[in-house]
Amino acid sequence: MTATDRQRRFELLVLPHLDAAYNLARWLAGNPADAEDVVQTAYLRAFRYFETWRGGDVRVWLLAIVRNSFTDWARENRSARLVFRAEPIDADHDPTPPLWTEPTRDPEAQVLGELDGQSLATLVQGLAPEYREVLILREMEDMSYKQIAAVVGVPIGTVMSRLARARALLRRAWLAMEVA
Amino acid sequence: MTPHPACARSDLELGRLADGEVGVVRRFLLSRHLRHCAACAARYEEILTMRRTLRERLPAHRAPPALAARIGAALAAENRPAPVPSHPRRPAAFGARLGGVLAGGGVGVLAGIGLTLLVMGGSARGDRLTEDVLASHLRSMMGDHLTDVPTSDRHTVKPWLSARLDVSPPVHDFAAEGFPLVGGRLDYLDGHPAAAVVYRSDRHVINLFVWHDPQGGEAPPAVRLRQGFTVICWRKAGMGACAVSDVERATLERFVSLVAAAG
Ligand SMILES: [Zn+2]
Repeated sequence: MTATDRQRRFELLVLPHLDAAYNLARWLAGNPADAEDVVQTAYLRAFRYFETWRGGDVRVWLLAIVRNSFTDWARENRSARLVFRAEPIDADHDPTPPLWTEPTRDPEAQVLGELDGQSLATLVQGLAPEYREVLILREMEDMSYKQIAAVVGVPIGTVMSRLARARALLRRAWLAMEVA
Repeated sequence: MTPHPACARSDLELGRLADGEVGVVRRFLLSRHLRHCAACAARYEEILTMRRTLRERLPAHRAPPALAARIGAALAAENRPAPVPSHPRRPAAFGARLGGVLAGGGVGVLAGIGLTLLVMGGSARGDRLTEDVLASHLRSMMGDHLTDVPTSDRHTVKPWLSARLDVSPPVHDFAAEGFPLVGGRLDYLDGHPAAAVVYRSDRHVINLFVWHDPQGGEAPPAVRLRQGFTVICWRKAGMGACAVSDVERATLERFVSLVAAAG
């Protein structure tokens, strides 16, 4: 296989997922310029390690690389705020009570139902990255728990608890905004 | 709304239900619970509304075209002729065969059974199909998922595929003709499921894709050459088919005539 063939093959398989890669990076990094740097690094890495792809879902393989590239980028830039916590709170062992038990102020209110896209984006961007990413992968990439687990590199049980926690936190943020 | 006393873990459970990530028994039990517990029913509604709102309104960020251009340039710069690590499942020496494929030619065998050929022509739909076929072929060889049923016994492969698709694909063992059957696999082409019947020719892999195509009509085999691979597609009797490989073009044409003749 010539080098050109290898590049064409890579582009054929991996380039179609550029929007997914950029969207994840953009939500993680929080701005376009950094997202572009992260995605470009991720694509170069993916290309270098193309042979490590063992078939299966290219998007899962690529997004895992995007996520790792983001982690490295955040570490190099010392953006502690952005980095995933080493030991994120596991909802199963979380000392705080389940957030969902807080009642809505208005029983008729549809949680988040009346929010416009921009306010919604602000709330999601306010979540810690480990919660933000599972929401993005679940709702924007329509990934299964198994696929999310593969991208994030955690057991499926952790995906479940993080997703439950992410939703509860998002709901709480929405209620807080409603009060303000 | 006081939570049901028996609902300590149900944030997670209700989320799983809303995500379609529970088995049938648990789904049944949870659904039954929701009919009797107003608190859980209200929370479940909220989760569904939240999911719908996020899906409909959360702004999707699309990659700027300039980023694709930068990546393309970076790949080209990266792409010095570095040695490609060998992969045990991949047939060796792609490059060596490339010349042979491009030099190979002739429509003799297919013309012999009265079929016409289109080379490098055809519709946009045909091109998209060709790209899809090629991508699936590459995936099947580069991963460890060449076959779901790895057997040369066509009496195993054919029923396995027929049971999973709305088409009964032709499966033969052409070992005597130089194309031994390797197995079968479920795949996806152009947005629909397809049977992939896998053959070998020496150390080269041939993927034969077959799918149900009620409106397709009849079309004679059309040859397309892409990146050192040959793709031959045709339609016949409510069935679409494409054969793809990096064997020499004449060899793949011979293979397709065998398939077409065997029916
Ligand atoms: Zn309940």
